[in-house]
Amino acid sequence: MSRQAASVNRQAAPASRQAAPASRQAAPASRQAAPASRQAAPASRPAVPVRRRAAPASRRAALLSTRLVARDTWWQEFDCPDIAATALPGQFVMLGVGLDAPGSWLLPRPFSVGWTGPGGEVGILLRAYGQGTRALAKLETGQTALLLGPLGRPFDTEGAAVVSVAGGVGLAPFIFLAAREAAAGRRVRLIYGERDAGAVFDPALIARLTDHEPELFTEDGSAGRKGLVTAGLDPASNALLLGCGPTPLLRALAAFAREHGRRLQVSVEEHMGCGIGTCQGCVVRAADGRWVKSCIEGSVFPAEELDWGAI
Amino acid sequence: MFGAEFPSPVLLASGTCGYGREYADLIPLDEIGGLVTKAVSLEPRPGNPPHRVAETPGGMINAIGLENPGLHGFIADKLPWLREHLRRAQVFVNVVGHSAEDFAAVVSGLDGEDGFLGYEINVSCPNVKGGTMFGTDERALADLVARLRGCTERPLVIKLTPNVPDVGDFARICEEAGADGLSAINTFPGMVVDIARREPLIGNRSGGVSGPAILPMGVYATWRARQTCGLPIMGIGGIRNADDALQYILAGACLVQVGTASFVDPGAAVAVHEGLSEYLEANGGARLGDLVGALRSWRGTGPAIPAGR
Repeated sequence: MSRQAASVNRQAAPASRQAAPASRQAAPASRQAAPASRQAAPASRPAVPVRRRAAPASRRAALLSTRLVARDTWWQEFDCPDIAATALPGQFVMLGVGLDAPGSWLLPRPFSVGWTGPGGEVGILLRAYGQGTRALAKLETGQTALLLGPLGRPFDTEGAAVVSVAGGVGLAPFIFLAAREAAAGRRVRLIYGERDAGAVFDPALIARLTDHEPELFTEDGSAGRKGLVTAGLDPASNALLLGCGPTPLLRALAAFAREHGRRLQVSVEEHMGCGIGTCQGCVVRAADGRWVKSCIEGSVFPAEELDWGAI
Repeated sequence: MFGAEFPSPVLLASGTCGYGREYADLIPLDEIGGLVTKAVSLEPRPGNPPHRVAETPGGMINAIGLENPGLHGFIADKLPWLREHLRRAQVFVNVVGHSAEDFAAVVSGLDGEDGFLGYEINVSCPNVKGGTMFGTDERALADLVARLRGCTERPLVIKLTPNVPDVGDFARICEEAGADGLSAINTFPGMVVDIARREPLIGNRSGGVSGPAILPMGVYATWRARQTCGLPIMGIGGIRNADDALQYILAGACLVQVGTASFVDPGAAVAVHEGLSEYLEANGGARLGDLVGALRSWRGTGPAIPAGR
């Protein structure tokens, strides 16, 4: 889910930012404890551990900062300690302006959690593609939005060596992952592709969040190496591959993983209505022929769970 | 109403609240009036290919294709949660079928179970072949309602389609055939074209349009139904807040359903109820029942009704 992604408790986000649990910085111990929930995967599907996830919260949250970081692309941080405290890399939030915005009607959009800060901040990377995302891009510091999350199945890295591959704003979940891993003293290799230099998210800001700059590719060579991100993949490595970005990128990664016998998890994107499994709008085709909901069964899927001929 | 107590006049609409469980972490379900489940058919249905949903001006379009686990899946996997977790909120099971036999089999198959109050019969889904067949054919509708009446003594609510010349005619047919109530109204058939690909955006090609864009049509359908029959009406279509709900209530609805608005804010149904309560308080402790259908028939006549908040 390269996204960009509504909410309920109407009370303002509590002033508990100091109380935001310190455990957030460190990779939580619960990640090791994940196996308890392994039986959650139906027997008919490849056994993939589904980490125990926190219940989603719906909050009206203030926009703490917004910054144009690339062409049509903003980095926004919201004051949302509840979600910051429980979100895991690969999870997303539904972000919208709510029902009482004057003169507007806007369904919330899904956004990968791009970072969580020690003060309860939730960062997202927003690229304005259409009317909805443009409206969200216009939010100003101090204004509030509705956040619902954390939602969806996160990446399951199991402490493995990880190579993350991002296209466009598919970068967001990997900033979060790299920042968390960096806090735990681990380094995540991050390969990041954009069309051209103008679309590239400020590498220095990425480095500030994650402790190191990504390996950059642009299609026209105007920044970083020229070419597609897949050129950065090492066939000899056996690291776990993670992918997030446009569907052609995910397809190419799936083909690479198949060819080289590599494990791959991808975050998929499909039009989403609710984010919590009620509307059944965001389905993708699973390898076993079922429609699976990308909001609650994904948005991260092991590549082998999906029918790549139908994606 | 329907022989039961509703903690609130605001329910969650079918197709927007799953089978209840999905909202359990987000809103106090027992403080809303209740919910109408996603449609249940006799056999499981896989649903339509994506895209299934998209935003449209003032609303959204959907063509889910009635994906559901079927009668037995619903009884085994969905109904127990509702039975065990809801104490006050009332549950209607939305029922759909390809044929009158299908509808009757679902109602008969469910009728001995606990955990729900009654049925909302979906004769109005625009997103499956034949989905509106019963809702747009007066004879077929009369026969279906009469048949289902023979299958159950529980509240039998018919969810009407707006896709007819006059909803009032179909409301009257439902009453005459033995229905206990009406839901007005289901989505409007619509289409979105992806101009870049020059193809329909929605996998099913067409879908049902919901949201604030259809509010005036839903209010009108409610008013027409109220004029032709005496059944209690659940008003549905585009409700975002108490003012919207009051339009339905004044036009003749005694309960309302919140649908698409829950996607924008899962707390919408709770907020609509709060807003209605504030309105009643601000109007000298008026009772909601006094407002049902209390529309002044002509501009400038009848008792003045204070503006909503």
